[in-house]
Amino acid sequence: MKPAQRLLTGFAAGLVILLPAHAVLAQSDADTTQDKAAEAAAPGGDIRSEGCLECHAEDPDAKVTFGDGSSRAVLVDRKTIALSVHGGALACTDCHRDIARHPHAPVKARDARAYTLDESRTCRRCHYAYYTRVLDGIHFKVLESGNRNAPTCVDCHGAHDVQDPKGPRVEVSQRCARCHDKVYAAYAGSVHGRAMLEEANTDVPVCTDCHGAHAIANPKEPTFRTTTHQMCAKCHGDATKMAKYNLNPEVVSSYLQDFHGVSNSLYSEGATKVYKPMATCTDCHGIHDIEKFSSGDKGAIREKVLTVCRGCHEEVPATFGDAWLSHYQPTLASAPMVWSVKWAYRILIPFIMAGLVLHILLHLWRLRAHR
Amino acid sequence: MFREPLVKTGPDGEVLVKRFSRVRRFEHYLCIAAFVVLVLTGFPQKFHDNSFATWVFDLLGGLDRTRFVHRAAGVVFSLHAFLHILGFTVGFVTGRMSLDMLPIPQDLRDAWHNLGWYLGTRDRPPELPKYDYRQKFEYIGIVFGGLVMVVSGLVLMYPSLVAGLLPGEVIPASRVAHSNEALLALSVLVVWHVYGSHLSPEIFPMDKTIFTGYIPAHELEERHHREYRRIFPRGHAQEPPPAANADAEPLPAKVA
Repeated sequence: MKPAQRLLTGFAAGLVILLPAHAVLAQSDADTTQDKAAEAAAPGGDIRSEGCLECHAEDPDAKVTFGDGSSRAVLVDRKTIALSVHGGALACTDCHRDIARHPHAPVKARDARAYTLDESRTCRRCHYAYYTRVLDGIHFKVLESGNRNAPTCVDCHGAHDVQDPKGPRVEVSQRCARCHDKVYAAYAGSVHGRAMLEEANTDVPVCTDCHGAHAIANPKEPTFRTTTHQMCAKCHGDATKMAKYNLNPEVVSSYLQDFHGVSNSLYSEGATKVYKPMATCTDCHGIHDIEKFSSGDKGAIREKVLTVCRGCHEEVPATFGDAWLSHYQPTLASAPMVWSVKWAYRILIPFIMAGLVLHILLHLWRLRAHR
Repeated sequence: MFREPLVKTGPDGEVLVKRFSRVRRFEHYLCIAAFVVLVLTGFPQKFHDNSFATWVFDLLGGLDRTRFVHRAAGVVFSLHAFLHILGFTVGFVTGRMSLDMLPIPQDLRDAWHNLGWYLGTRDRPPELPKYDYRQKFEYIGIVFGGLVMVVSGLVLMYPSLVAGLLPGEVIPASRVAHSNEALLALSVLVVWHVYGSHLSPEIFPMDKTIFTGYIPAHELEERHHREYRRIFPRGHAQEPPPAANADAEPLPAKVA
């Protein structure tokens, strides 16, 4: 076969293969749209679930009795399933894997919570990466320690009504609030929370932006403190984002020039155990109840800074607070002493070194000239 | 305790002149040790983003231990600086020591003369004293630079104490001074000291005087002629020096 022929044949073969595929794809697109419409009209969706739903969606008296004698209705709403993110994609038995035929064996769980925790393992069959990250998180550790109230997948994401987690951001924090209500109240009143709730601002953080969603770190671990500035830096180190709100873009870089910032950044890089906790963003700015500093009056701010200093540096005099240069590069007006020392060396070091090098070069030149 | 002779003969018959006492030699060792430790534990803190920094912290067992070593070495250096200055002050006041390591107006004239010699406007080099202006520059550099490091280092070590006596701004200012003075000191050492005591073609590979305490008479003649003339008014080959100590070995007769 000549190359040209070969090309032509290949092209023809490609057309033969691809055209029907395209047609099928277009067809399946149309099918899904129809399915969705059908589901909305007659909820239930997957034909494979119909057998289950004959009892579980129809019989209001259907109940399960657990090992401890408690019981619970086993009624599910067809519409809830159809409108969930799994609607039309998963059948009942894809998750409830221990059930294969009707009539099925009775549930053996001790109580409803035991059943939930048990069934949660089913999620990992598809969402394995998230499951493994959960194993690193504080919620799993609490669960493992025997506290069965710690959340598992369905407690945050929902069970039959599981939704796409990329939904409205405000709902993320509200989900956490179901257990962490006091923390949520503090957040809701903070500068971040107010912007989220009152202005629907999408730039401000929700709980998971700082804490993570699955591998949630224990905030009492020393590493949480040493990495806090990185958390804040995600937004406050972003000059474009800060310019939008007329906020100082140097808060992170100035912190990292400070003794505390250097220490924490080195600790976070793994420079061994932390012997002394070092001041970080949240010590002055608050943890969940973060407020704008620029709105307060100068005296009150200095007072607050000093209080924070005294948290570690006990009984320091009031002048100690002036050691902190407030996230701004020292200027002649703001910190004349620091500015002068800085500029003195900026001039002195090159001047001295250039002089010494010149002296050496002249010496070498003289030696060469006299050889 | 026996005194070292002012002039003695080396193993190869060379005439040697006393230059540094045992105390000064010990001080030099101490400075080397303190300087090396302080640089190795201090610069990783200054250039903490560098991978070398992480390597040092790992080597020493972490940030806190590195800081502890740095501070301990700093305290040793500070004590030494204090004793050095105290010793010279007492020695000078009681008239037992001369401050011939401190610059005087003649040093400026020597420097000017020497630059003229380098540039060819003078036809002979200056006759330099026991410690020439280049060495005095380095000495006052380490004394004043050392004092800046000691004072700023103590401010950073005891910030809360300092804040009770001085304005709080002294603390960040000390941090800037400590960091920059360290850079200046290391730069001067690497450029000036290494050239002056090692790499200069007249010295290479090294000037051993600070370790042996003695300088060969011919080197004294070449580099510190004014001092040479003071000790050997008629040249070291001709006569034993008038200031020669009683237990000095007799000078070898040199065939002219």
